[in-house]
Amino acid sequence: MRFIARYAKEIHSGFEIITVYEDEIQKESVSFEEPAIETLAKKYPAAIWFERKMHDDFGIIIEDAFDKRPLVHQERFPKDLHPLRKDFVKDELAYADYVAYKYEEISGDGVFQVGVGPIHAGIIEPGHFHFSQAGEDMLHLEVRHFYKNRGIEKMLEGKTLSEAKPIIERISGNETIAYQICWRDIVLQATKQELPLAIKKRHALLLELERSIHHLTDLGFIPNDAGFGAALAFGSKLAEDARRKMRELTGHRFGFAAIDFDNKYIDTATFEEWLDELWHSVEFFEDWIIDIPSLWDRFDTTGILLLKKALKYSTVGVVARASGVTQDRRTDKFYLEHGFVMASEVSGDVSARFKVRLQELKNSIEMMRNFLEEDESSLDLAKVYDGEYHSFCESSIGELFMAIDIKDGVIERFFVRDPSFVNWQAVHLMMSRDIIADFPLINKSCDLSYAGNDL
Amino acid sequence: MIKFWNKRIKLGTLTENSELDRELETIKKEIKDNVNKNFSGSLAIRMVDSGSCNACEAECNALANPYYDLERLGIYFVASPRHADVMLLSGIMTFNMTPHAKEAYAQIPEPKWVISLGDCPVMQAPFEKNYAIKAPADEHLPIAHHIAGCPPSPLEIIQGILAFLKKI
Repeated sequence: MRFIARYAKEIHSGFEIITVYEDEIQKESVSFEEPAIETLAKKYPAAIWFERKMHDDFGIIIEDAFDKRPLVHQERFPKDLHPLRKDFVKDELAYADYVAYKYEEISGDGVFQVGVGPIHAGIIEPGHFHFSQAGEDMLHLEVRHFYKNRGIEKMLEGKTLSEAKPIIERISGNETIAYQICWRDIVLQATKQELPLAIKKRHALLLELERSIHHLTDLGFIPNDAGFGAALAFGSKLAEDARRKMRELTGHRFGFAAIDFDNKYIDTATFEEWLDELWHSVEFFEDWIIDIPSLWDRFDTTGILLLKKALKYSTVGVVARASGVTQDRRTDKFYLEHGFVMASEVSGDVSARFKVRLQELKNSIEMMRNFLEEDESSLDLAKVYDGEYHSFCESSIGELFMAIDIKDGVIERFFVRDPSFVNWQAVHLMMSRDIIADFPLINKSCDLSYAGNDL
Repeated sequence: MIKFWNKRIKLGTLTENSELDRELETIKKEIKDNVNKNFSGSLAIRMVDSGSCNACEAECNALANPYYDLERLGIYFVASPRHADVMLLSGIMTFNMTPHAKEAYAQIPEPKWVISLGDCPVMQAPFEKNYAIKAPADEHLPIAHHIAGCPPSPLEIIQGILAFLKKI
């Protein structure tokens, strides 16, 4: 049974702990006086961050946890403060005294520590990587995040679904369409409505376009991190073309506010022309890049995530599929009818993740062709019913899970698990056979989100 | 590789100046004077993300693509604040990032400027003030110039940097 997420919420008598698996959702209640639960981390290592977050957010005690360090709350966050509790209403916090964070470290003769971040050398998001090194060899890596924590979950409480939309679409800029589709599905569940097929096709088209932009960027950046800059020039040109197409279709280069319930006119002829052009460019790119031995020398056997580990750590998305896990949220009738083919590689290294991206990009182009339709239907939203709703979407990184509770017409609890949240916890497993100079390459091959992870 | 060079020659130069063209001609001289005076010939930018959604970073990365190619103007992104003239600040100044953003600013040698990028640092994005947010940024850092947008497009960023250069 695949573990998906674990989170808490406050109910009248205490807290409810919700654990989401592939096939079922389990609930457990604890009292305010004794908010203690047992850890799941022994069976599902990916539960560790969920449980540490639960402690920071609500003060829930994980009795037998082997890692009780704070996760979201950093060195200067006030102690014993749990912002997701309903009685916490402050909107300004003063910095408390500095309490050092104890990193996971390997020590010994000649072993030294390398701390990287939160601010990195390139134009990327902040996060900290803490290495234990024996010369160039990485003995251990601890990934530490939540520098970007914006308190999104708390911010959305008390808002209606439509008021929450502009914030939800800005949780992770690279995955905005996926976040909006999760929101859309929750709106449809709450209003007990069906989406007209034509609108569903438009949204699916935008999701594949977003995936194409993300993959094109990565197909350039991954070789660039191995010192092959020409690929970046090529990939970033195609990504820019695709981003301009996104603006043509939605009025925004990332597709903020793109998912709504009105179908808009698409000039299918020019779009199809562009798809053909993109297809040829990608074929050319593949043919060219596959022929550069020095590049594949860096990619092959670098950053291996074994299938066994990929399953054990509940990984999702590109990372999981590159390790031989056949898991994708798009394996339903609608997608299969429109040409979805699951990408898959087995070697689990940087090459595998690169090749999965190539396969997915080509499949996305195919699917976009099938999703194209000139149609201007629309849907009027009905009344929103209170309840507990959840939805899934396959973002360009992997499976996205969103849960929203609605009470009296407004959001009572918002929870979202970005695919990055589980995948980040598996990144340290990829380092054991490589040197520290391979780290940027391995990290880029996974291309996980920091903003979506930190919330 | 031969195939690649064939394609490269066929494609030619993709870099666009379009509407910026004329402006660039005049500004280029100004940049040169300005940049020569203040920045010894080139402007070095250190990008710091204090809690964005990553869209601003994606647009800054796009500045390097063949269409915009920012470096042709002598403006480039550097790896360390100690190499920088200007800090380009995106994001909403989270509780956890604010001390690090201030530290990065402290590490930039004088003279130095901060340009805020996108709607987050000035609290114009849809996010609401809460316990985890320390924006607006001008309460923590001296902001010399602001580039608006959510996110600003690469072209808007270039125009914003040029406006900043004219200003100082």
